[in-house]
Amino acid sequence: MAHMNKSEALRQGVLIFVFLAVLTALEFFVASAIGSVTLLAAIALVKFGLVAYYYMHIYKLNLNDQDADRRSDAYKLATNRLGLWLFLLSDTFVFGGLAVSRFNLLGLTRPPLNPTLGLIVTSVLLLSSFFMNRAEVSMEHGDRKNFILFTSLTLALGLAFVVGVLGVEWPSAIAEGVTPSVSAAGAIFFMMTGMHAFHVVTGLVFLLIILRNGARGLYSSEKHWAVEAATVYWHFIDVVWIFFYPALYLIGKLIK
Amino acid sequence: MKKFFSSALARGLIWQVVGWALGAAFVTLIRILMGLKPLGIFFFTEPAWVFGGLVGAISFLAASGVISDWFKWAKGEETPEHHHDPDGWEKFINVSLDHKVIGIQYTLTALLLLVIGGIFSLIFRTELASSGLQFLTLQWYNTLMSLHGMVMIIGILLGIAGVINYIVPLLIGAQDMAFPRLNAFSYWLAPPAAVLLLSSLALGGFDTGWTGYPPLSARAPVGMQMFFLGVFVAGWSSILGALNTIATVARMRAKGMTAFRMPIFVWAAIATSIIALTATQLIGLSFQMVMFQRLFGMGFFDPAKGGNPILFQHLFWFYSHPAVYVFILPGLGVISELLPVFVRKPLFGYRWIALSSLGIALVGFLVWAHHMYTSGMNEYLSTPFMYSTLLVAVPTGVKFFSWVATIWKGKISSPIPTAFLFVLGGIVVFLMGGLSGPPNATVATDLQLQDTYWIVGHFHDTLFGGYVLPFFAAIYFWFPKATGRRMNETLGRIHFWLMTPSFIVLTLLMMRIGLLGMRRRIADYDAALGFDTYNLVMTISAFLIALSVLVFFINFFRSMKKGEPATGNVWNSRSPEWQVPSPMPAHNYDQPFEVVGEPYDYGLADSVYVRFAKEK
Repeated sequence: MAHMNKSEALRQGVLIFVFLAVLTALEFFVASAIGSVTLLAAIALVKFGLVAYYYMHIYKLNLNDQDADRRSDAYKLATNRLGLWLFLLSDTFVFGGLAVSRFNLLGLTRPPLNPTLGLIVTSVLLLSSFFMNRAEVSMEHGDRKNFILFTSLTLALGLAFVVGVLGVEWPSAIAEGVTPSVSAAGAIFFMMTGMHAFHVVTGLVFLLIILRNGARGLYSSEKHWAVEAATVYWHFIDVVWIFFYPALYLIGKLIK
Repeated sequence: MKKFFSSALARGLIWQVVGWALGAAFVTLIRILMGLKPLGIFFFTEPAWVFGGLVGAISFLAASGVISDWFKWAKGEETPEHHHDPDGWEKFINVSLDHKVIGIQYTLTALLLLVIGGIFSLIFRTELASSGLQFLTLQWYNTLMSLHGMVMIIGILLGIAGVINYIVPLLIGAQDMAFPRLNAFSYWLAPPAAVLLLSSLALGGFDTGWTGYPPLSARAPVGMQMFFLGVFVAGWSSILGALNTIATVARMRAKGMTAFRMPIFVWAAIATSIIALTATQLIGLSFQMVMFQRLFGMGFFDPAKGGNPILFQHLFWFYSHPAVYVFILPGLGVISELLPVFVRKPLFGYRWIALSSLGIALVGFLVWAHHMYTSGMNEYLSTPFMYSTLLVAVPTGVKFFSWVATIWKGKISSPIPTAFLFVLGGIVVFLMGGLSGPPNATVATDLQLQDTYWIVGHFHDTLFGGYVLPFFAAIYFWFPKATGRRMNETLGRIHFWLMTPSFIVLTLLMMRIGLLGMRRRIADYDAALGFDTYNLVMTISAFLIALSVLVFFINFFRSMKKGEPATGNVWNSRSPEWQVPSPMPAHNYDQPFEVVGEPYDYGLADSVYVRFAKEK
């Protein structure tokens, strides 16, 4: 997979994005028409698999280089990759703990939130993941101009997501009576979206760093670990939302 | 003195205080602008203290310089691979990237925290020596008792990180840890965490015990928040250290060191790191949720708002039970590592021992609710958790069989070296802890034992046998590697023979009065119950243990300067770090080595473990 040419990589990126978009639409439909939790969980898992394999290229962890020179950049790159994935594993437990808390507190009910608004911010984040993938592929092929373009687009969409959640979604939830201090349902909603938004903001900081350094020409097609790390981290944030979105907006009966 | 005030540690501490004050002032200003009450009973309000505490911790890290390389990277600047450390003692209070320096920094910080935690216990143990309230108020008793728990736990975590940091790269033939800057960062999280934790003493303390259960923790004084923040920061130290350990072992092993030729301590380090990397997040999350419940009224654990206090216990114990395996696995690893050296025999059942560490770690993820039989959780959960808990005894039993079989017909030198004494003491005391465990795992008996002094006796035995005694063994054993000098054997023996019997008396009496009905965590008891004599003996034992630790410190600091020189293979060990002269040079091995045989073939002729490359 590492030796894909530019057009193959583009085709793959688009194809995965289309799959993810269709699955997201299907999810919305399943939630409103059937309401099957099992089906929703299955769709989320498929989406997670697609992102983890194609966008986060988790298979790169398996590249066997035990015989390589320990001081070579390639060997250190693989070590860095392992370190990043270990960090993501650790972080998964935070979000997993929040998801468990949500089901413990609310069971199969959900707070009265605006599902269309949820779908919109989800789409924004999904689209940002697509451009993030394009940015990384561009850098892999040494295409600095497109890297800057796509990273900027990702940044803009990421910012739109944060504004959407903190600036639109939170006030509208409060208007619906879902506030942090009135009920446990409100508390867990703000905790989950808040923790996720915190990660998005840190991801935006990383994007700013690689955008600036990329514009200064510090990365090349051979050497761009910072770009890869920021990319994988950004997709990880997307993966978290793949599970949080149905957990908050789609699953279960509305709390009256 | 000048060297101290220009050190990273001093800079960090000063800026932590400054950052704290600025952060608190900032929140106070905002409160004034919003028309809220600006000041509270401890001068600042609770949100101001919490925000200030966080800013203070970050200020510490920025001022100590441990994150400056990362900032340079973000700006696109290159940094040198290694930093040069000064030669004197001041390298231990400055940022170093050398895993050996960091290991010693961890160990010294751990010893300091263990002493502080120990002093807390001496204070409230004196209070308990006879019935009636002598000199402590209830709130002070509760605060000291709670802090004793958490300060000791963090001290233990740092001690483990110290031994792992120092030993693991040497055992696997690496030049350093996989991520040296992250390694330094993990260590430098510890001092601000300790300051935060201890600052709770000045902010009203807290009365929840180390577990911090809501609803009590939701209404304790501001000190509670400092406790939460301190644990949160220390938790990150543990998580990032574990990440580094796993990456190091996965990527930096010497040629030929396949999984089943790794030293047994490395297996233990991996097992412990898997737990610390993942489960630690859950205690951080649970404490964060209580913090937010207090700050923003978010009712996660408040039944009046539809919250569930039991949820906290699930999240909390999901870390805090496996955490005890984080404490003991490296200790048991030290026992298995040192036993063959001292009995001159192969380690019995090497593969089983290696896998039993992983087994304990993995089963450990499935046992947390055995702390909650009486909590009011769903009753159908009790039975599966009882069985999973009892299952832990199987891999633990494997270790005991291996130790006994390894000692069997071994050649033990006379007099027994101090390090070996501590290994043997660890086995005996851990056995007591292990045998007193199943009654607490079994629902029917635990309903009687829950919250009694029996439990206190049980876990002190497991932690002393599984951590404290092996930790001392490790210090006595590897001290020559770090300093080129041996610790004094006579003082070492005095240390051991004062500490271990006193400790055994202490915990047996703890269990005894627990069975007679004495509750844990209480400041006072009725004289009519007849516990006075027992408690007096326990207090005396506690002071004897303290005395033995004092002997240890005298030995430790005296031997650094005046100890008998020992630059060679003092223990006649097969392990690679003893094949080169002590103390270890800055970048470890001058020549790389290759693993060509089994690690623990003591007493077998012609068996070679490591072979060093020839000088070029």
